[in-house]
Amino acid sequence: MKAIQAEGLAKTFRVRQKENGMKGSIKSVFHPRTEEVRAVDNVSFSVEEGEILAFIGPNGAGKSTTIKMLTGILYPDGGKVEVLGIDPVKKRRQLAYQIGTVFGQKEQLWTHLTPYDNFKFFAAIYDIPDREADARIRELGETFELGAFINTPVRNLSLGQRIRCEIVASLIHRPSVLFLDEPTIGLDPVVKENIRQLIKQMNKELHTTIFLTSHDIGDIEKLCKRIIIVNAGRIVLDDTMQNLKYHYLNKKIVEMKLQEETSLVPAQGITILKEKGCHVKLEVDTTKMRINEALAHIDAEHVEDINISNVPLENIIMEIYKGRNGGAA
Amino acid sequence: MRKYAVIYRSVLMENMQYAMDIVMGFISYFMFIFVFIHLWNYMYSSPEELISGYTREQMIWYTMITEMMWFGARSGTVSGQAATDIRGGNIAYLMNKPYHYTMYILAKHTGEWSVQLPMYAVFAVVMGMTMVGKLPAFRIVTLLAIIPCIILGITINAVFKLCISLISFWIEDSNPFQWLYDKMILVVGTIFPIEIFPAQMQPFLKLTPIYTVCYGPAKLVVDFNMEKCVEILIAQTIYLAAGCGIMLLIYGRGVKKLYVNGG
Amino acid sequence: MLMAVKNQIRVCVLSTKYNIMREMLNKVTFLTNICFMALNNAAFIIQWVILFHLKKDIGGYTMKEVMLLWGLAASTFGLARILFNRAFSLPELIINGKLDSYLVMPKNVLLSVITSSTNTSAIGDLLYGLTVMCIFSFSVGRLFLFLLFTVTGAVIITAFAVIMGSLSFWFVRAEAFGVHMINSVISFATYPDGIFRGKVRFLLYNIIPVGMSVYMPVHVMTHFDMRSLLTVTGYTILISAAAVFVFYRGLRRYSSSNLMAARM
Repeated sequence: MKAIQAEGLAKTFRVRQKENGMKGSIKSVFHPRTEEVRAVDNVSFSVEEGEILAFIGPNGAGKSTTIKMLTGILYPDGGKVEVLGIDPVKKRRQLAYQIGTVFGQKEQLWTHLTPYDNFKFFAAIYDIPDREADARIRELGETFELGAFINTPVRNLSLGQRIRCEIVASLIHRPSVLFLDEPTIGLDPVVKENIRQLIKQMNKELHTTIFLTSHDIGDIEKLCKRIIIVNAGRIVLDDTMQNLKYHYLNKKIVEMKLQEETSLVPAQGITILKEKGCHVKLEVDTTKMRINEALAHIDAEHVEDINISNVPLENIIMEIYKGRNGGAA
Repeated sequence: MRKYAVIYRSVLMENMQYAMDIVMGFISYFMFIFVFIHLWNYMYSSPEELISGYTREQMIWYTMITEMMWFGARSGTVSGQAATDIRGGNIAYLMNKPYHYTMYILAKHTGEWSVQLPMYAVFAVVMGMTMVGKLPAFRIVTLLAIIPCIILGITINAVFKLCISLISFWIEDSNPFQWLYDKMILVVGTIFPIEIFPAQMQPFLKLTPIYTVCYGPAKLVVDFNMEKCVEILIAQTIYLAAGCGIMLLIYGRGVKKLYVNGG
Repeated sequence: MLMAVKNQIRVCVLSTKYNIMREMLNKVTFLTNICFMALNNAAFIIQWVILFHLKKDIGGYTMKEVMLLWGLAASTFGLARILFNRAFSLPELIINGKLDSYLVMPKNVLLSVITSSTNTSAIGDLLYGLTVMCIFSFSVGRLFLFLLFTVTGAVIITAFAVIMGSLSFWFVRAEAFGVHMINSVISFATYPDGIFRGKVRFLLYNIIPVGMSVYMPVHVMTHFDMRSLLTVTGYTILISAAAVFVFYRGLRRYSSSNLMAARM
């Protein structure tokens, strides 16, 4: 069964416009002008049960709007959505029992209460009996290592502790699908890694479907097997992580330290990115020149140190944003 | 002086945006006065009756003017914003700018009411003429004295409210005091003219800000006489000077405290 | 079905409890807010002492009845703002896209939203209302009616606030409009209905819901009348249904915080 299915999803917003200066201010009082913005435009995709999917795109691409339509927050203007076979528009409440949401920038916890009281509150919302709730809190508390601060008011917790609590709060009712909207925003690398581990573990053990949006390439690279890239309200790429890397990773970055300053002979397939004294940085297009040819081309005798790496995923994604949609980003 | 003019102008522009919101505010004003018209219509059994020396029209116009000033000069700048600036520590940034903080707040407030008040004035006059009736003794010429009196009244009110906000340098929440002051003005000052209170209380009321903030301007509109006008203007000048003095004193002390304790 | 209602009520009660706990974090502010609101209401006694000094009867009311009117108005608004405070700031939530977290909960959105905050000074209103009622016109039966009408009145005012607030789904300007309409209810609710005549009375019993929330209950408390009691109850149900209808209609137009994002 498909966990999420969207077909021809669309949403348009009307935005008020104002001209500059005094004149504009007066004008907008009498003739407010509005402009239509197509936030999501004919988007179709599906997510398998148990999959971890990255849904990414630049700011204003329509990521959040899509997530909000999937969770029943926004009414779509067009198209069809089904999450776990339930239409979020018609059966919002029924769906809510089965999905969990974490919005990294918005807090759903009461800050003056302890995490424990918060979890009890969420348990009440999801009609979980007291005993069961306590057992569940203990279980999640262990997994997410909340023991040390489960009785400290949320306002006194660090950001990392808080986000862990947010995730636990959204898992209290054992959702089958979890929507994570930038869950690691503003966290330090150690906590980020910790959160990623937990998400992975959850997916493996409970078979939870995870729908993730993030600006953090690390999140995507480490968690997701499949990636959907949106820009200006449309899907520009929907592929597996492997394919993405295979198709786009045909360029290698070669960084070298040479014994003495030598100028390289230009060749097809080699682009010099940086050349400063003894340090040289090249990009090798492996469709035009194999990597061993490239190394032969460089006089290996003078090389003191060499480092060959892939083009960072971040750059690839940026290419895709720009390349496929007229540089709207 | 030019920089205060620029502050004034930018607030003015911002407020043009909110012109519709101001018009919405007429609803509250209208309803409030509407209730009063009905109340006084009921209280006066015959059209010729005088209550504490006021005719029915004068009584209603009195409230219309005081409420017009109240609604027209209403803003959170002198109360809420100033208190938040001080408590929230924002004051540290505003203090170092090349202007005097209290003057900045007053200029901003003036920018707000100079859009609102004239709009309320037009609305009040239209409403009064159609629903209450003309004031027989009113002469246009007297506006020359009344308008400065209204402006002074509003400014004095703003200075006092700002003084209360400045107490925030020392106490957590100045709102209760703000409230007390507002209640005194609203319940005692805007609803009834001073003459309606028992004779023993009147001299005391004349010493409160009510006399310069609400009674003075409204009284001159409904029942103008030169002697009264001069008296009120003198009282207002004294009040303004004293108010500003207190304001600067509190501010100076507050800033010093801030430097000592580092905010 | 019954289970769902029970669970919903449990969540609302928890919400309110946590809200009040939050307000009580700063005990001094909490208490001063309550006391000052009670004082604020008491200040208006001056106005009525003066008015009754000028005339013995105002719109068919004596001092005792005006105090009952004031008491009911205060406790009605008080209860509404203790339990359903967010109903009065609905536009802010709608315009800034803050309804999201309520929409992903498997509970009634409207109830979850309006019970999500409380107003401390409203406790002062409620206490003031009850005190005034007990001082000026106490009887067991009347106290019972007073409590009943406090509840119906609070529901009516909340429903009116929800209707006004929901207009923000359609018009940005509705925020200010709603605030002023609710203010007008307060203006009217604290003066005897006897001073209004003809068309105005019609307006007060129909458009602005002050007649059914305050005036008619005061009449029932002074001269008991079953028909009026039932009318008030019926009106309460009717306006609540209207509020629910308007809110959910508007919710289809909810745009979350996307408008803000698009503006930048």
